[in-house]
Amino acid sequence: MLTAKTKAPLTTPQMLTFFAVLLTYPLWAQAVGLYEYLGIEIAIFILYALGFNLLFGYTGLPSFGHGAFLGAGAYAYGLMQVHLGAGLLPGLVASIIAGAIASAIVALFLSHRRGIYFALMTIAFGQIFWFLAIKVRGVTGGEDGLLNIFRPTLNFGFFEISLKPNIALYYFVAFVLVLVTLLLWRLVHSPFGMAIQAIRMNEMRARFVGYRVWLIKWSVFTLSGAIAGLAGGLFSLAQESAYPDVMSLHASGLVVMMTLIGGGFVSFWGPVVGVIFYYLARDLLGASTEAWLLWYGLLFMAVMMFSPEGIAGAWGRLVRRLRKSPAAEKPIGEAAE
Amino acid sequence: MSTQPIFQAEHLHKRFGDQVVLEDISLSFDEGSISGIMGPNGAGKSTCFNVLTGMYKPDGGSIRFDGMDIAGLSPDRVANLGISRSFQIMNLFDEYTALENIMVAAPKTRANLIKPFWDVRGDAETSDAAADILALVGLRGREHHLASDLPYGERRALEIGVALAARPRMVFLDEPTQGLGAEGRNKLADLIQSLKEQFTLVVIEHDMQFLFRLADRISVIHWGQVIAEGTPKELTANEWVRASDIGKVA
Amino acid sequence: MDFLSILLPHLINGIALGLLFALIALGFTLIVSVMEVINLAHGSLFALGAYFAMVIIDPNLQNAGPIGEWYLQLPHIARYFIALILAPALVAVVGFVLEICLRRTYGKKKEYGLLLTFGAALVIEESIRLTWGPVEQVLSVPAQFSGAFLMDGMIYSTYRIYAAIFGVIAIVLVWLFLDRTPYGAIIKAGAHDSEMVRALGINLPRLQLLVFGFGAALAAVAGFILTPIWGLRPHVGIDAVIPAFLIIVLGGIGSFWGAVLGGLLVGLTVGLTGAFASDWSLLSMYLLLIAVLTFRARGLLGKKTALEA
Repeated sequence: MLTAKTKAPLTTPQMLTFFAVLLTYPLWAQAVGLYEYLGIEIAIFILYALGFNLLFGYTGLPSFGHGAFLGAGAYAYGLMQVHLGAGLLPGLVASIIAGAIASAIVALFLSHRRGIYFALMTIAFGQIFWFLAIKVRGVTGGEDGLLNIFRPTLNFGFFEISLKPNIALYYFVAFVLVLVTLLLWRLVHSPFGMAIQAIRMNEMRARFVGYRVWLIKWSVFTLSGAIAGLAGGLFSLAQESAYPDVMSLHASGLVVMMTLIGGGFVSFWGPVVGVIFYYLARDLLGASTEAWLLWYGLLFMAVMMFSPEGIAGAWGRLVRRLRKSPAAEKPIGEAAE
Repeated sequence: MSTQPIFQAEHLHKRFGDQVVLEDISLSFDEGSISGIMGPNGAGKSTCFNVLTGMYKPDGGSIRFDGMDIAGLSPDRVANLGISRSFQIMNLFDEYTALENIMVAAPKTRANLIKPFWDVRGDAETSDAAADILALVGLRGREHHLASDLPYGERRALEIGVALAARPRMVFLDEPTQGLGAEGRNKLADLIQSLKEQFTLVVIEHDMQFLFRLADRISVIHWGQVIAEGTPKELTANEWVRASDIGKVA
Repeated sequence: MDFLSILLPHLINGIALGLLFALIALGFTLIVSVMEVINLAHGSLFALGAYFAMVIIDPNLQNAGPIGEWYLQLPHIARYFIALILAPALVAVVGFVLEICLRRTYGKKKEYGLLLTFGAALVIEESIRLTWGPVEQVLSVPAQFSGAFLMDGMIYSTYRIYAAIFGVIAIVLVWLFLDRTPYGAIIKAGAHDSEMVRALGINLPRLQLLVFGFGAALAAVAGFILTPIWGLRPHVGIDAVIPAFLIIVLGGIGSFWGAVLGGLLVGLTVGLTGAFASDWSLLSMYLLLIAVLTFRARGLLGKKTALEA
């Protein structure tokens, strides 16, 4: 039987390591000079980046305007809570839907394309969304932001947990992240996951083999937008406000860079590594120099020039060399963290 | 075996800009046969092929497959109706293994697209069926090699394998001998012969000798038209064929 | 007649913008056609040109001794023209460096080059921000070119008219260079068919280097002229890349007149939108891009280019 060699495991060592680190973080964070709120930010952006990489690394579609969907989710949550008094769950559902609708609409224009035309249109759409967020002050509060978003209390009937303390919100976000990670892991091993990778490798052949390529591209775009929306909702909870800056080209570009440096081109865990690396660089390097973002940008350029497979790719190469095993490692999904 | 043509193209006309590439092409292929399409470069046979397999929409004429009108349908619709093609310039999924190349094209995979949590590689049925196809094209034992790592001849075989993976009724092979030496061509001829039982095949080729020993019927396309059509024996006697450059050995 | 005279300043605005967009697009399209690279850093080079110019016109030369004093005493307009020559030259050097970095991505997937130039854009913009701060700066324009005047009851900005004139002169100079000099001929040949150029014995890497520098210099000139209108901030370049891309989609890659006409079209769109809703005028550019790419599947002429995928 061939299945033994190729079946996807339910969990992998990398996944378990990641979950272990994620779930124990508050216990050791301060010991290494980190803090709880940082953990919340990192977890939210890992969620964002995992959804983003579904589009970018797996399907090969470069989206430079993904911040629009994060922002849509953030504003949706805020508006639901501030204007409609909605609770946590309805608010987050609204975030997901907002992200999904925004990306579904954008995807209608993009699903027939890829490559450079695709990338530039995402920039254009991102700029439009950003522009609207700033100009439509009545809804979004413009550059001053949508304020007075508060962290509600989770009511389980017989006990309740307030999400106000960072540690509570952290575990809530971590829980969502674990769930989404498991779902995405299963998805990339499903026919859909194989199809999107096939589309990345050879879109024409995928079509000739019977896949409705534009529909699949539209779906993955919408799904990644929905995940971005969810991350946005969580972000507005964390910040207790929503601002247009996440929609800027600068911010959208950051998630591209984080994902790539981490190794999103070759590994499911690339985005995880990339986000963690970015925030550590920001907080540790940024403490000693104002020019840290400049160094980060230079690092990104160096990665693109010399090692586009990023950290996860470099690690994978190292592991393979140590094991001295023949080249049978699949690019996506198998590379070690 | 039925002698009804399973595939019929009539009076195909195709122009690009103001250049007419296909003047008036009519072709028909019988089920279970191996048919050949031959012709010099620029004659329109590549365009004809692309029109027949759904890459281009014909400007005029009709294409019927099993009674169904398929002219102008998108390639994925055509594929789902049971027509598959291979490519002259290889179009593989290079980062996938040979097995995965077949699995991604398998009908069961495509049918289960909306099942988001069904693990493809873990499905014995899909794996085994894919391994069978690889065996059919002579790639047994090479399942877990990346497509990009395979030597040229094996990539050619895999190229055909991917076309077969969808279990089509008809397979169009676009210049499958491209880049192959004499031994490769012999192996390929044997392969195509062996496929005859399961598929209806249409082979487009430069190499006249190759087609002549394989095909039941051959159509010769030149100047955007079918200038000759018949069994290999009939064609060797055809004066058009002998007069044109097709008569030269590839 | 009234309506027209209300529109006229905006029309002139649009034409000035259009000519400068054309200049940006010319640099952009040369780079695309010779190297098949979409230079997302083009906007930051645009901004850099303006910042360099600002420094050249009003440098901080307190400790530079007698040369510094002599320089500061030069008439404003003289320093302005020195900047007009020197700033693009400096940006061209930055362009050389970027081209050298890009060499590693030639032959790989097109997205790699795109991503690399994206990273370069960030690096350049951060450098600008760190050196000169995020606050808006002023590129001082000589008194001869600034101010406003009344005509037919409408206020016209003097600078915009000069900007339009500069734009025309610059485009004519570029055209002369490309059409009338041997270097220009080589560049045009390279834009048309880089393989052939190599086969003719021309040093292709050197050509690519020079073309990139030249394109960067054109962006810098455009930045120099346009930023007094748009404002001088580190991220001002972002709004320069999209029109460049839009223009080459409209006008065809590597086409000189395509860039000029496309530039005028985009500039007029932005300028005239400014007549009705000034806040939203830049937005019109993005909407135009989306509209054009949605309805024009292959840019122009239906030809598949290296950018296609």
